[in-house]
Amino acid sequence: MAKQKITLAVTGLNNTDNPGPGVPFIRGIKESEVFDARIIGLVYENLEPGIYMEGLCDRIFQIPYPSGGSDELIERVEYIHQQEKLDVLVPNFDAELFSFMKNEQRLLNKGIHTFLPTLKQFQEREKDKLPEYGKKYGVKVPGSINLGSFNQIKEIEENFDYPVMIKGQFYDAYVAANEEQVKQAFQKLAAKWGLPVIAQEFVKGTEVNVVALGDGKGNTIAAVPMRKQYITDKGKAWGGITLADDKMMELTRSLIQKTKWKGGMELELIKNNAGEYYLIEINPRLPAWVYLAVGAGQNIPEALVKLALGLDVKPMTEYKIGKMFVRYSYDMIVDLEKFAAISINREI
Amino acid sequence: MKIPGEVKISDNGFVFNSNSGDSFALNPFGLELIRKLKEGKDFDELKPEILEKYDVDDLTFEKDFYEFYALLKHHQLIIQENQLDFK
Repeated sequence: MAKQKITLAVTGLNNTDNPGPGVPFIRGIKESEVFDARIIGLVYENLEPGIYMEGLCDRIFQIPYPSGGSDELIERVEYIHQQEKLDVLVPNFDAELFSFMKNEQRLLNKGIHTFLPTLKQFQEREKDKLPEYGKKYGVKVPGSINLGSFNQIKEIEENFDYPVMIKGQFYDAYVAANEEQVKQAFQKLAAKWGLPVIAQEFVKGTEVNVVALGDGKGNTIAAVPMRKQYITDKGKAWGGITLADDKMMELTRSLIQKTKWKGGMELELIKNNAGEYYLIEINPRLPAWVYLAVGAGQNIPEALVKLALGLDVKPMTEYKIGKMFVRYSYDMIVDLEKFAAISINREI
Repeated sequence: MKIPGEVKISDNGFVFNSNSGDSFALNPFGLELIRKLKEGKDFDELKPEILEKYDVDDLTFEKDFYEFYALLKHHQLIIQENQLDFK
């Protein structure tokens, strides 16, 4: 059967030590038996490694940061659409999702399909709302306090034992063993990500993760659990292995069913010594390790694109247990012309 | 006690717990012991086999066996259903 030709725009080509999911997403699509995709890479920075990887993208466009205003970002996407006639757009950063979700209909009117969580789904899983989320959907979550000011730091001692996790509202987390360390972390996180800063109870155990895809009707289309085997100093997985864990799968399916989650997601969980799972975070997009799921037998990127195009997708329930990924760094030699083109013309 | 199904034991001594993601390397004797445990043999059944096959005395084997057993338990490679049953 001939593959369906599509044009697919993807962000998150920053395959750095804090990688985005764009490159692994594209790898999944390139292995698709359904799609023959023309890949349009959308980048924020002119040194995102995905720009320079041979055979990855057919064209590259630089786009403005959403912090500069949603309109500017969407207008740029519309300009790219005029040139490339995009069928599907897959944003991969938390910080840009809001702009694309708000403009979902505007993009669809132009013929650009997305498959994103709803604004409600996106907002209710935010870190500062996790306790309410846990209560609403019957999931164990660590206790937390939203720190709106320096003065609230003393509340931590009244509620939790040290150490505690201090988290930025979008990214970054530090373990703090005392009040002094909380103050340092608070200042760093407040300056970078704004308020509130979240103080979260420290749950001792093993961190495990699930990459999953919900169809928006309560069905889990794909889910693969993984344990990080090698973690960088930024807390990113540099190696991981798929697990056989029915409890984790059940928790994932139940959460997707109750929330009717639409789109890709990553659940971050801690399994304590008693075998209980605590939900510590929900990322509202696919993670950078999504290619492990492809390698284990679930091509989640392909399934997400199918859902975006309104095609029928059957839930995938099987995956290979004990499949591993190991990341590596690699120096590409790049001609100045490519760097100059993206820097000056904002496209290649 | 039993070795859960998710614990996979390879011929070369590589042991993988697919539930936790942990992996371990056993020496040939460790591999022999864990295989016998997987077959469902308990200490009383194992002891005469080992004493006959290897040059080891009763007490040394008992000490080493329970040390190994504690390690397996610690790493969740074995489930002890009855906390008072160490056989």
